[in-house]
Parts: sequence; C-alpha cells; structure tokens
Amino acid sequence: MATIPGATAVRASVTFLKIQDFARRPVMDQMRLRAQLEAVIAVTIASLDESGRVVLDASDGAAIVVFGDPRGALRVAEGALAAGAGGLLLSVGVNHGAVQLADGGKDDEGMIGDGIAVAANIADFASPSNLLVSRAFRDALADAAPGEEACLVPAGVLTDPGLRSHELFGLDRRVAQRRRTRFVGLAAATAIAILSAGVGARISAEGQEKFLSGIQARSGAYAAGLFAKLKFWEAPPPSAPGGRGRAPKDKSRG
Amino acid sequence: MAKQKLIGRYKITGELGRGAMGLVYKAEDPALGRTVALKTIALSDDEPERDEYRKRFLLEGKAAGRLTHPHIVTVYDFGEERDIAYLAMELLKGTELRTRMQEGAIPIFEAVDIAAQVAEGLGFAHEHGVVHRDVKPGNIMLVARGQAKIMDFGIARMRASDHKTSTGVVLGTPRYMSPEQVAGSPVDHRSDIFSLGIVLYEMLTRTAPFAGEDSTQTMHKIANAEPVAPSRLNPEVPSLLDFVLARALKKDPVVRYQDAYEMAADLRSCLAEMRGRVRAGGKEENPAKDTTKTMRLESVGGRAVVAPAARAIVSDTRMPLSRQFDSSVAVRRLAAPARKDRARLARVPGPVGVWRRLRSDPGPRLLLISALAAGLLASCVISG
Repeated sequence: MATIPGATAVRASVTFLKIQDFARRPVMDQMRLRAQLEAVIAVTIASLDESGRVVLDASDGAAIVVFGDPRGALRVAEGALAAGAGGLLLSVGVNHGAVQLADGGKDDEGMIGDGIAVAANIADFASPSNLLVSRAFRDALADAAPGEEACLVPAGVLTDPGLRSHELFGLDRRVAQRRRTRFVGLAAATAIAILSAGVGARISAEGQEKFLSGIQARSGAYAAGLFAKLKFWEAPPPSAPGGRGRAPKDKSRG
Repeated sequence: MAKQKLIGRYKITGELGRGAMGLVYKAEDPALGRTVALKTIALSDDEPERDEYRKRFLLEGKAAGRLTHPHIVTVYDFGEERDIAYLAMELLKGTELRTRMQEGAIPIFEAVDIAAQVAEGLGFAHEHGVVHRDVKPGNIMLVARGQAKIMDFGIARMRASDHKTSTGVVLGTPRYMSPEQVAGSPVDHRSDIFSLGIVLYEMLTRTAPFAGEDSTQTMHKIANAEPVAPSRLNPEVPSLLDFVLARALKKDPVVRYQDAYEMAADLRSCLAEMRGRVRAGGKEENPAKDTTKTMRLESVGGRAVVAPAARAIVSDTRMPLSRQFDSSVAVRRLAAPARKDRARLARVPGPVGVWRRLRSDPGPRLLLISALAAGLLASCVISG
C-alpha cells in the first residue's frame, strides 16, 4: 500500500456505517444485508455533490468520506439510521479528520487516514441504531454552519484501542428546537426590555403625565386620521352613466 | 538406506520425501501385502527432547488412527524401533496442492471444491478432538477424480492439550498461521479454519493475503492487516466467496466460522451458485518462492516471538473504494487538486467567533436584530 503521488492529506467528514453483528451472521445473511446497505447508501448520498464524496468498503459496513460539507455527512448518517426501520440495524460513527488517497496496487485504490480509523472506532462504540460523532466533527459542523452543532449533545468519552480519548456527542434534534425557542423568547424579552428602558427614560425626562397626554394626543390624532382614511365602508358615490367604476371627481372640493 | 531395509515389519522400497520431522518412505507391509507410506522421525540423542518427540509422534499416531474419512489420509499403524519412530499410512498417488498451485492457476470452481473437501475433512477431525495446526497446500494431496486429502497431522495435538509444547516452541508455517498461533495464544479448531482460508485465498488469487518480506513481517500482517477482498484481485471470484473468506480470515476466533462444516456448507453454496458457469483460468504468474516450510518459533519468556506491534495499537486503516458507487470524480479531484481547492480541502476548522456567530447562527442573529430594532424604536421614543 502506498499513497498516490500528488495526492495530499485533506480533512474530511467520515460517516462510518457499521452493520450490527455482521461478522457473526451466516454468509447468505451477510450478502443480503450488504445489498440493503448499498441501497441505503445510494439513496442517502444522492444529495451530495459527486466531486465531494467517496464511498469506501469496510468489512462490516461502509464509510462515506465527504469533503467540505459536514452537514451533508450528518444528513447521510441520519438517513442511513432511518433505514433501520427497514430491518437494517446500523450503528453510525461520524468524525472529521485527515484522510488521503492510497494505492493498494492492481487498480485497487482506497483511502487511509486517522479520520477513517476514528470514525470506525466510534461506530464500533455506538449502540445499535445510534449515531455518535466526535468533538472534531462537532467543531467542523459549527465552523460550516454555526448553530447546527446545537443538536449534538454530550454522550460520553471513548478510549480507542490506541488509548486515545474521544469526546463523543449524540444527535438530538429536539435540543436544537428548544434552543431556537429559547432564542425567540430571549429576543422578545430583550426587545421589550430595551423599549421599556426607552419609555422609562422619556418619562423620567418629561414626567409621566406629559408623556401620557402626549401619547394620547398623538395616538388620538393618529386614530382620527386613520379613521378618516378608512371610510371605505360608506356607500360609494353614484357612478357616471355608462361609466365603469370610477366616480366623477367632486369639483366643489378644493 | 541400503543398510536400513526394514523398519518395524515394513520393508523400505524407496524414499518419498522429507516431512517436518523426518523422512517419508515408500514401504511394503509383508503381513498384508500392501504398499504404505512410512513416515519416520529420527529420535534425538538428547533424552528430554527424544521423549518429547516420541510423545508427540505417538500422540499423532493415536489421534490420526481414529480418523477414517474420505478427505483424510488413513493411518494404518505406528510404532518405534531403535532410534526411529514410524507411522504407516495410506500411500497416495496424486499431486500435492502446493505443486498444483505452482503449475498454474486453479479454476475457481475446482479451488472452491478442494477447499470444501478439506473443510469437511477438518470438520471430521475437529469432531474427534484433533486439530491439525499446520493446514497448508503442502499438506493437501489431490488424488484421482479431484479428491482432496489432508495429510501430515505431523503437529496435530489433542484439542484438550496445552497449546504449547513443553519445550516452549510454537509449531506451524508462518504464511498459514492464525493470529492466535502467531501470538502464542491457545489454539483450537478455529485456527485450522483460518489457515484453510489462507489456502483458499491463494488458490483464488495466486496471492498470499498476508505476504511479507520475512516471517516477522508476515506474522505482523497476519495479526494486524485486513486482506484485500479476493474479487478485487481476481474479478472472476464471485462476491459470495468474498464473504466466506472474510469470515474465515477474521482475526478474532469468536467471529470466525465456529465450525469447519459450516464453512464447507457455505463453500458448497458457492459451488451451487457457480455451477454451470464456465470459468477461465487466471493469468500465469511466477509462483512465489516457497516459504511454506514448517518452522519452529522459539518462545521468549513463555510467549512466542510476536509481530513488532500489537494489534491494539496499530491497525490497518486502509479501506478500498466501493465498486458499487462511482467515486472517480472525487478521486480525480483529490489526486490533483487545484491550488485553491487544495487549501480549501486541507483547511482545519477553527473556533467560531462572536461576530461570525451573530452573523450566521439564526438564534443569536434573531437576538441581535430584535435588540437593534428595539433600540431604534426606543431611541425614537426618547427623542420624541
């Protein structure tokens, strides 16, 4: 195995899809599950740009390497997990790290890199129908789409076979929804507070009565003006004979 | 040879070859009037070593004598005379699988059939508590009508026995060893399944799955590297065989085939699938230098000399491109990226600053906008 000349290490998001208990199943089952996984991948990667993704074979699943689109990698992971309903039990690990093209000889290209190895370790660690991502992926997602990372909540720490610790996060879309709601509430409260402060400042400058009468006068005048403009419910003036719509101008006016 | 005309009651008529521990003769059994292969072992002058050799040889004789199966060489008799222990067995007329592999590519159908036969033979031996421990092409004989027979239970031991000899050596052929043999861990029947997997892999691809420049490198690969799927090396190999071999070559015996019969059944399924198809032979290649001699690996401190790095620390992370999905566009992009693209692809994500968060994160952005709007309104209120 050698790296391909000219190819450099790049950073990519790796979604590792691991079929649960694949190795222990009979070979016929393995073939069926592999075919199912391929169908799932075909559907989930359709949304990715062809120049931005590479699909790799793993002994018990597959890895999808996505370049410059962490959101796409997460979308693929979620889509694949949803396929669990169809009987394909997957565990998914997502990581963002270094990968590189590697030549295995005899037209057998592949990819190597820590990005792939860590994703595989995370998928090994994840329970069935579960998705875990690394801190590196969370950071990459935050960088690509700030705010999106809110749906990734702490899920523990994994120590891989190389004795490295990885901070893991699980996916919870409800957390992101709750965060949005909180921000809406916070924005409303802030707006009210600032407005109240403005009103308070005005009152303290000219006194409450003057402020209120001023408001009343202005709002009264405004209401009267508005009332005058909105006389549309009064009966329309008679239209000119043969005329089709517009009323003749009132010449006495002005 | 001229001096040694008789061993036990057997009359030596010729030399057939050299086994792991001694010579193999062609001999006549005058009592029954049949020709046999007489495997001998020259007992050492060193008394403890001699006892160990003798013990192993007799154990082998007893174990092999219990195995009567169409795919296992039949053992007729065993005994000891002067400084030589001997084992009389069925004389086979045929070709060793090793020679057959060196002669040229074996058609896939035939290779799978041979492996299925060997798996059935091993299954029978395992059922009787005998583990071969040295399954390799040199120990498989192809006789008439394509029948395969496992020979040389030369280092076979009872399954209940300890995994190591009392002299502290691990036996096997590095190229065909299982990870547990390499590590000097306890070995059971699943080790034979791994070795058979390697033999089948070589028959199908004419490539050793764990080829290394020397024994140490080979053993390191056995313990750490994942072999390339055989269908990648030989496109004629059906994908079902990829699965069979992947399972037979699992590093962890727990997830490997638990039974040689199970593997035989899967291989028979492959044969059924392939039946009727015409398979052309692969391209001729120079057969690799024969590195299949049984070796003794001296142990160090009770453990065998293992590959340099432990599996837990180093693992082969290389993954091949999927053949089901076309990734050529991305591969071309990665192989020769434009300057700008290269920088973009190699960019390390940085922390998101406050300004960027306010600009791009919908939540903080909404907060900012509403605060600004409220501030504007408040200033209008203040200014009247």
